[in-house]
Amino acid sequence: MRRIFQINGEETECWLSHDGNRFILNTPDGAHPCRLDPAGAPGGHVLRTRGRVQDLRLAVGPDATFVHMNGRTYAIGRVDPAERLAGRDGGAADDRIVAPMPGTVVSVNAKPGDHVREGQPLLDIESMKLETSLTAPRDGVVAEIPFAAGDSFGLKATLALLAPEED
Amino acid sequence: MGISKLLVANRGEIAARVLRTARARGLATAVLRHSSEQEGPAHLIADEVVTIEGPTPVAAYLDIPQIVEAAQRIGADAVHPGYGFLSENAGFVAVLDKAGVTFVGPTSEVIDLMGDKVRARAFVEERGFPVAPSAIEDDDPASFVERARAVGYPLLIKPSAGGGGKGMRVVPEGGALESEIETARREGERYFGDGRLFVERYIERPRHIEVQVMGDGQGNVVHFWERECSIQRRFQKIIEETPSPALTPEQRGEICETAAGIARAVNYRGAGTVEFIYAQNGAFYFLEMNTRLQVEHPVTEMVTGFDLVAEQLRIAAGEGLSAAQADIPQNGHSIELRICAEDAREDFRPAIGDILLLDEPRGEGVRVDSGILDGGEVTTDFDAMLSKLIVHGPDRAEAIARARQAVQNYVILGLTTNTGYLDAILAHPDFASGDVSTGFLAEQADTLTAPTEDVSDMLLAVAALSDERLVDEVMQVPQMHRKMGGWRN
Repeated sequence: MRRIFQINGEETECWLSHDGNRFILNTPDGAHPCRLDPAGAPGGHVLRTRGRVQDLRLAVGPDATFVHMNGRTYAIGRVDPAERLAGRDGGAADDRIVAPMPGTVVSVNAKPGDHVREGQPLLDIESMKLETSLTAPRDGVVAEIPFAAGDSFGLKATLALLAPEED
Repeated sequence: MGISKLLVANRGEIAARVLRTARARGLATAVLRHSSEQEGPAHLIADEVVTIEGPTPVAAYLDIPQIVEAAQRIGADAVHPGYGFLSENAGFVAVLDKAGVTFVGPTSEVIDLMGDKVRARAFVEERGFPVAPSAIEDDDPASFVERARAVGYPLLIKPSAGGGGKGMRVVPEGGALESEIETARREGERYFGDGRLFVERYIERPRHIEVQVMGDGQGNVVHFWERECSIQRRFQKIIEETPSPALTPEQRGEICETAAGIARAVNYRGAGTVEFIYAQNGAFYFLEMNTRLQVEHPVTEMVTGFDLVAEQLRIAAGEGLSAAQADIPQNGHSIELRICAEDAREDFRPAIGDILLLDEPRGEGVRVDSGILDGGEVTTDFDAMLSKLIVHGPDRAEAIARARQAVQNYVILGLTTNTGYLDAILAHPDFASGDVSTGFLAEQADTLTAPTEDVSDMLLAVAALSDERLVDEVMQVPQMHRKMGGWRN
């Protein structure tokens, strides 16, 4: 199987293989032998790849892998390409504005049928006492805004849907 | 009037911090916990944990009758409110007074006065202390917009009942004053249930400097020097330090004495903080007085050597202050970093998740006041601050170096935090030189969130090799196929 890994918004599709001695990470820019061994502290590992030996701390969450190395923490999103395909129901990824966290709708600033520009605020949400404005990911027409002001929503709920782009 | 059993009416890191001192003083201790809330450090320290109920966890911590009843039921003779929640609620203090339970803090009258930003400002101004040019809506609502304009742009609109930067708006020369006033009013109504406003001249590139004061309620007031809190995002502090790199010794003396004078004017009891706006030309103006222990109080403890919670408890027990002004030193330099579950690259959007791995930094001059435990869950129920990292060094440069090392070694895996962002601030040359204002984070947003060294190659390898499904599948492939590499393609 393959995985899509997300690092800083960039997606890379990878898969693993093994040459009998070592794992090989297959990426769009080539195949690289690599090795990860547990070491020392909780979550501690040593990574060997592309001529580098790197100490790190590691924790694997349900949707993302978290790595602490050289004083920085990184989150790597994990997506199964097959699941993404199944979950699509006709809509492309940038048609959908998904709740980044659970919260409450403060105000709705657009309605179905509205033509919106990229970056235009569609709705304001509140979570952990902080207000955030969710904006249109591209120019388009609003197809659906399922929530009204005052409604609560869960993580990853669809908060707004743009009509599919016409090619 | 001594105290024997203390209920901490708070949660998270501050509850744990207060409980530690209370225990060290030999008090019996109790702390609250909402029925849906996970176990935190405070619950492990307290002798007793009192479960509270409410439609939301926050509502439970604001439920005065329930908390007072709990205090009486368990026989607590004093309540420490921490910060936030009921810490500046005059009504809470009044109910406790009636119930015969000691409130660790000032009188309800002083809380009431200082809680109303407009009255507080007028009180301070009448006594000859400096305040910024302003217009107050309540004086004459009909002419508010006109008077606001007359104050002179740029303007800062604030809710009268406000705090924590909520509802504050800056209006530049030529800005839409009327519509900004209406937005601020809506925010004030939503956050504080009070839409009254005032405006003041917005000081360009101001610094936020505050002074820790402590009074015994018998007329004695001392200060514990200043804290510089100019590093703010969305009007909320994330790095605080003391001493302020901006002040000369003379200015330091003047601002600290002004703060103590304001506290004396209200015959202050307990711990309080007088906040000032400090202009680039050295002028400073009273902003507000917070009638509670502040989040950032540990930096003051690090340089003075005093335990401010112990002082609070002494005063509440009628033992008075433990020190005279001359006995309060300012040794070395201390910096606090607020570790928050938020994504600095996404406009500080709060993050949630399970804490999969927690390893706090340790070492000389390093203190961690934490509200989380390994294996805990961070939800949207409460504030995004997880813990505070406090360091002390002989001078500012050494304190910055220690803070950088400590924050780099702070391992919190399982959700996005601001540790990398905090380190980027500490590494910024303007922070190192002390040339900052409250606008620093906004001005430097791009620099501070710029991508660091590209380590994607290593991250991909780690993610793949720690992905059980990927690894399992490869290991199930017969040896022959394995040798063919990506055999499925």
